[in-house]
Amino acid sequence: MHAPKPLTATRVAATCAALDSASWPAGAIVLRTAPDEAIVLVPTKDIEPGLIADPHAIVEIESSLCGIWLDADDAHDLLERECDWETPSARPAFAQGAVAGLPVKLWFEHDRVLFVVSAVFANDFMERCR
Amino acid sequence: MSKESVLAHLWQQQGDPTRGGSVCAAGDCQSCLATIDGIAYTRMCRTPWRDGMHVEPHPHGDQLPALESRGNRAATIARTMHCDVVVIGQGSAGLAAAAEARALGRDVVTLDTGDGQDAIGIYPGPLVVARTDAGMWHLYPRIEIVVATGAAEIQPVVPGNDLRGLVTARAAESLSAAGIDLGRIVAVGTPPREVACTVAVGALVRFEASATDASRVGAVIARDDRGVEQRHVCDTVSLGLGLAPRDALLRMARGTNVHGVGDVLRAPDLPPCPTAGIVCACLGVTVDDLRSVHARGFHELELVKRATLAGTGPCQGAACVPHVRAFLAAQGAALQPPFTARPLTRQITLGEVAAGAHHVATPRTALDAEHRALGAQMERLGGWWRPWHYGDVDAEYHAVRTAVSLCDVSTLGKMQVSGPGAVALLEHLYPVPIVSLKPGRSRYVLLLDERGYVIDDGMVCRDGETRFTLTFTSGGSTFAELWIRDWAESLNADVRIMNQTTSLGAINVTGPRATKLLALAGVTTPPAFLHHDTLDVAGICCRVFRLSFTGEVSYELHHAAADSVVLWRRLMELGRDLGIRPHGLEALMKLRLEKGHVIVGQDTDFDSTPRRLNHEWAVRLEKPAFVGRHAVIRTNAIPLDRQLCGFEMDGIAPAEGATIWHRDAFAGYITSATWSPTMRRSVMLGWLHLSNGELPTIITIDGRPARRVATPFYDPEGARARA
Repeated sequence: MHAPKPLTATRVAATCAALDSASWPAGAIVLRTAPDEAIVLVPTKDIEPGLIADPHAIVEIESSLCGIWLDADDAHDLLERECDWETPSARPAFAQGAVAGLPVKLWFEHDRVLFVVSAVFANDFMERCR
Repeated sequence: MSKESVLAHLWQQQGDPTRGGSVCAAGDCQSCLATIDGIAYTRMCRTPWRDGMHVEPHPHGDQLPALESRGNRAATIARTMHCDVVVIGQGSAGLAAAAEARALGRDVVTLDTGDGQDAIGIYPGPLVVARTDAGMWHLYPRIEIVVATGAAEIQPVVPGNDLRGLVTARAAESLSAAGIDLGRIVAVGTPPREVACTVAVGALVRFEASATDASRVGAVIARDDRGVEQRHVCDTVSLGLGLAPRDALLRMARGTNVHGVGDVLRAPDLPPCPTAGIVCACLGVTVDDLRSVHARGFHELELVKRATLAGTGPCQGAACVPHVRAFLAAQGAALQPPFTARPLTRQITLGEVAAGAHHVATPRTALDAEHRALGAQMERLGGWWRPWHYGDVDAEYHAVRTAVSLCDVSTLGKMQVSGPGAVALLEHLYPVPIVSLKPGRSRYVLLLDERGYVIDDGMVCRDGETRFTLTFTSGGSTFAELWIRDWAESLNADVRIMNQTTSLGAINVTGPRATKLLALAGVTTPPAFLHHDTLDVAGICCRVFRLSFTGEVSYELHHAAADSVVLWRRLMELGRDLGIRPHGLEALMKLRLEKGHVIVGQDTDFDSTPRRLNHEWAVRLEKPAFVGRHAVIRTNAIPLDRQLCGFEMDGIAPAEGATIWHRDAFAGYITSATWSPTMRRSVMLGWLHLSNGELPTIITIDGRPARRVATPFYDPEGARARA
């Protein structure tokens, strides 16, 4: 496995309603990590004012995430070895939980899966999933 | 039993390879245990033969096999599978159950011990863990678990039952089918099918050793219907003494959606009460041992197991439990159910136990590689990998006191709170006024629990009317987030919360030349003490917080974690002529202790109130409400019993934890201690008990005289930090 690469992302904390109704930039991958928080894989400058209907929203650069895309078969093999919870079957889909004993966010597309891990655990992730 | 098993192969090649005692050839007994290719407690009957295998049968009786170290083995792989149904056992009942489930369109995983797939436990989840030749399987069935493990044959308990040449009826069938010549066979009980033998009618009495080989059976004695003992000369005795269900998995799976099919549900045959012989061959427990513990009052099966250890060996009671139940029933008690079943049902290696498991990972800051490149000794501190020192603690210390130094403080908890309810929430959480804190200002805060005990400390920094940045200790940030989110939800506070602990890097620039370094980095108007601002520092956007933990001018630069390395290198470069060098935690501990700063978790105890910590100045009881207020008021009414105090003494610093004595009485202990290069004496914090309502001043620490003194030890006016 290659080392996960730094991701360009923006973290948004806002009301659930504001996140539900946000018009994210076209094609952006949105990881809804909590009802009141989302990680959007676009530069923060692309999150235009007014995109989120919450004047108190916190919108911050998120530069501490790393990611690696694996094709569906490789992802299946890795998850079979290192993930003991059942991942979603729908596509696209987002899930998060322990993979190789580390907090990992997963974005499932039809033919590939994005593994997102905090940079603070990137080395451990690579070593454990090798 | 597979024809290709190690047991069959060796028996064909060199004769009976077992350790003695009745052989079941079905994985239920302990007779064919061996060390195979370095792995002890492996059953020969369950292991497929491969050329080149090294097989060392285990010693006879209760002697332990030699355990050998095999160096580094490849890690055992664990595979996780989710399915609808797991069927354990692929005999006729298991095959039918699997077929039925598949006919219903269910996703079925089957485990067949004949293929080397042994279920070793059923756990809540439900989770079935199986040992296979390809590694461990962790199976999560969505609908149910079907146990079809059949029944085990009952072993004989009579004198001579540890001889070789005793086989169960099924073992006689499978060994004969494998082409093994068992010699003259005498069958006791149900005879083996399609195996030529003589049937000994009557009850089994004992086995006698062969005249030519004392370890092998030479005759079996049975008592006929008239009560007369009949002696049958033989080479092998086939034993058809009844069946007991292999229901350990079924019994350990109570509360999960599991059911049995086939023989596993059958009522166990009860053998006659044993009168002599070995009951538990795994651990050498005899009938006399049962009598002994019964006479001492151990009448329940669970207690007999604990008293004798019968049932705790490699076969986990498969061989002995029917006989122990029969023994206890014969003593007048009701027939007792088998004892509790727990994983594991068979022996596995430690590597197999650990398969798929990982230790808790320790996070690394974005500067981790930078520290290592600088020669730092990295340690796990506060839940992170952090530099303890860079090779010269004294130089690091003096860089802070006389020049300028950098410290990676990215590990500090960092959180943003925003929203119309932010002020009210923080007023509720913190024991100091928040509403009066002006934007751009920061304040040191304690975090109290409902009992008024200090659970963390940090800073509250007001960014705007409705937005705040909060900081916490490195080790306390995860709990602090839960604490704040929980209170926000309980109070229905209209706030947004973002934990940025791992998202942001933080570098502390500290020392009398810190301001000069920031000027070189382009900061012409740095924030004043306890102020903060967003500024460009050496080309990196930073939130600059002016505070001090070291006692010198300090600027904490919070920035996107991806910029940490660039910012660090630029500051190191810009500070070269200012005598810059980084400092690690060891130097930081000296610096903060000279200032008397408390570290929550090191200097605090679980019941440290602000008064005990000598931090009443950080609590404003005139505030009408905050978490812990009532408890603080209540405990303040109780006479003070102990307090965290500062101490100094000549000579080297005592160990942390050293006891404090006052007039030959225990008076407390030291929580932090260091030799102060500036003060030229040892300085300490520690818990001191009051004596006659007063804190002693002259005390003894480590057998040496010491003095209680006011803190801070260094720059008590705080002039240097505010400079």
